[in-house]
Amino acid sequence: MQNAISRRTALKGGAAAVAMTLAAPTILRADEAISIGSLTPNTGGGGPFGPNITASHKRVADLVNSQGGVLGREIRLFQENSETNPETAVRAADKLINVNKVLGILGTWSSSVTLGIMPRCQEAGVIQMCTSSSADIPARDQKGLVFNFQALSPVWGRAIGDLSLRRGFETFNVMALNNDFTGSMIDGFVGVVGRDKILVEPFYYNGGQASYRSEVTQLIGEDPEAVFIPAYVTDFTSVYKEIFRQGYEGQVISVSIATTPAFKDVIGDAANGIIHGVPVPPITSPAYKEYLTEAGLEDTGSVQHPFGTAGRDQMSVLLLAMEKAGTTDTAEIAKAIWDVTTGEGKKTVYNVTDGLAAIRAGEEINYSGASSSIEFDEEGMVLGRDFQLAEIRDGKDVVIERLEF
Amino acid sequence: MTAYLVSMLTFTGFFMILALALNLQWGMTGMVNFGIAGFYALGAYTSGLLTAKLGWPVGLAMPTAVAAGFVAGGLIALLSLRLREDFFAIVTLGFGEIMRLIALNEDEITEGPRGLKIDARPFAGMFDRELYPIVYLILVASVVALAFIVVECIRRAPLGRTLRAIREDDVVAEVLGKNVLLHRVTVFAIGGAFMGAAGALYAHYVQNISPEVFMPMVAIFIWMSVIVGGAGNNWGLLIGAGIVMTILEGTRFIGDFVDILDAEKLSALRIILIGTLLIIILRVKQGGLLPEQRFTYKGSQESGRTETQTSNA
Repeated sequence: MQNAISRRTALKGGAAAVAMTLAAPTILRADEAISIGSLTPNTGGGGPFGPNITASHKRVADLVNSQGGVLGREIRLFQENSETNPETAVRAADKLINVNKVLGILGTWSSSVTLGIMPRCQEAGVIQMCTSSSADIPARDQKGLVFNFQALSPVWGRAIGDLSLRRGFETFNVMALNNDFTGSMIDGFVGVVGRDKILVEPFYYNGGQASYRSEVTQLIGEDPEAVFIPAYVTDFTSVYKEIFRQGYEGQVISVSIATTPAFKDVIGDAANGIIHGVPVPPITSPAYKEYLTEAGLEDTGSVQHPFGTAGRDQMSVLLLAMEKAGTTDTAEIAKAIWDVTTGEGKKTVYNVTDGLAAIRAGEEINYSGASSSIEFDEEGMVLGRDFQLAEIRDGKDVVIERLEF
Repeated sequence: MTAYLVSMLTFTGFFMILALALNLQWGMTGMVNFGIAGFYALGAYTSGLLTAKLGWPVGLAMPTAVAAGFVAGGLIALLSLRLREDFFAIVTLGFGEIMRLIALNEDEITEGPRGLKIDARPFAGMFDRELYPIVYLILVASVVALAFIVVECIRRAPLGRTLRAIREDDVVAEVLGKNVLLHRVTVFAIGGAFMGAAGALYAHYVQNISPEVFMPMVAIFIWMSVIVGGAGNNWGLLIGAGIVMTILEGTRFIGDFVDILDAEKLSALRIILIGTLLIIILRVKQGGLLPEQRFTYKGSQESGRTETQTSNA
């Protein structure tokens, strides 16, 4: 009977598939190594930033391995791409946690990804280090295992609002891409500039649309002096084209993650005059200068790799805390993370090599990073990052204002 | 490793339920459904919201999600009264996007882009942490089995014959006295119910859902499963779902061996592999790996009318 053969083929196929998956990872298990996961947005909305974070994680891990590892053990880094999508990210996290037995997952960027994998990580007792800005992140971390290397988005909104007021603008309109990160900037912004200066009720728009015509018409209604649009580069490109097409002559303000070099290439001269803000590495910090050398970049005086620098700090902090805790128990490491980053009267170190040496010499250290000085509040959120406002002039970013924390 | 395999089998289970439902709707009845992600989201959010916001027990919320999928499926299919197949396909695509946009924008109800955190789980507290994923896998496997039995019974029953007649030519079926609309509505409602069930199971499994999970890409993976496995053949699409998941997940391990393939290249490679597989299979075996068994009328030599199955492979 034909039918029976089909069924048998089905079983064979299924068995082969399972066997393939089973066989693959058993070959590579190294018992002594300490496994750490890197789950970065290498494609999708975070695509412009993920590869920098990935590279930073790898550089720090390779460096420490070349110097004998941590706790006398090698660091084994497992890298996965979250595709900036929580559905994919959960499966990737499953693999990192259950197959690679990582003790931490570093580098998640989008809030929905960080929050999406959080139940898995909390259950398995895995440390998370992210650059996500959702205010829900500290609220949902019940075990104190999540450390955020990025200012929460209301802080972005407040800083950009503050800097905009200093530029002397009197009236604003606001629309934000409807996602957790950009959406929650509205409150911070409106809180600083004052509701009475906003002409049209602030609103959200949905990404991935073919046209933003009605949104932009609403945004520039009543002709405000400036419009603030927190967005990702993918949709901001279309939004800005529409603003240009409708002939708006006021000031366009956005976030720097929306005005990447790719944006400037596509928009050309019309991009000149846009003001954009972003939390930035302290560019005078020794750690930032070291980062530039490590990444093979030239010091241009303006900020480069705002998230790549955070990647360096994530891996460095985790390894330092592990050495400090003297164990791979994640609850102990999480406690040690505060020890090595926060608090005064300690020896300041700017890289993992110096930090490890100091810890081994019995000294108390405070790691000051390339993305910020890295001080955590009691919820594991980074306390302050410098914030800068830049203007695009002749296709280049020129820093016009800077807030220092 | 066992935990990971259990987890991946569970995810494959979600794919299988969705694929079985699609097979019923498209493979057997010819109704194109591009809105799979919408039904999936409807089930996930219905069950998630009822437990997280209204404190319903999971045992009540999950069946409600199934009912929601059933009703939504039926209502959508009513539109097919006035729409030709290709236009109906666009309606389903619209439905999928509408569900996602509602989840995204009605943030006072759904928590919008922040994502909905769901603490409730079926059989919570009855099993320890090590055992629970296996229990959940058994639960999902039971639903897969149930969906399979239902869809397979429909396929073998006279109803299945009618559905195939509608698929091949709805006018002929209508002329022969079959109520085409009623059949379409029934099939779409049953499919919708299974998709709702898959969504509810997914929501309580991952415990955090956000609109970004329900992108049209989910629908594409399910279509892949059905096309690769063999449209119309329920065994085939189980294999199809397994293969799609094996490619999606199996490729992750290449990165652990091969240094030059970083995470970025691998995720591109993953999609390329799936596309290539689809092309090869459609080139070599047009009907999929396990093509639909054709029913042929054998005539009435012996004891009246009999039907036998032959494969056209």
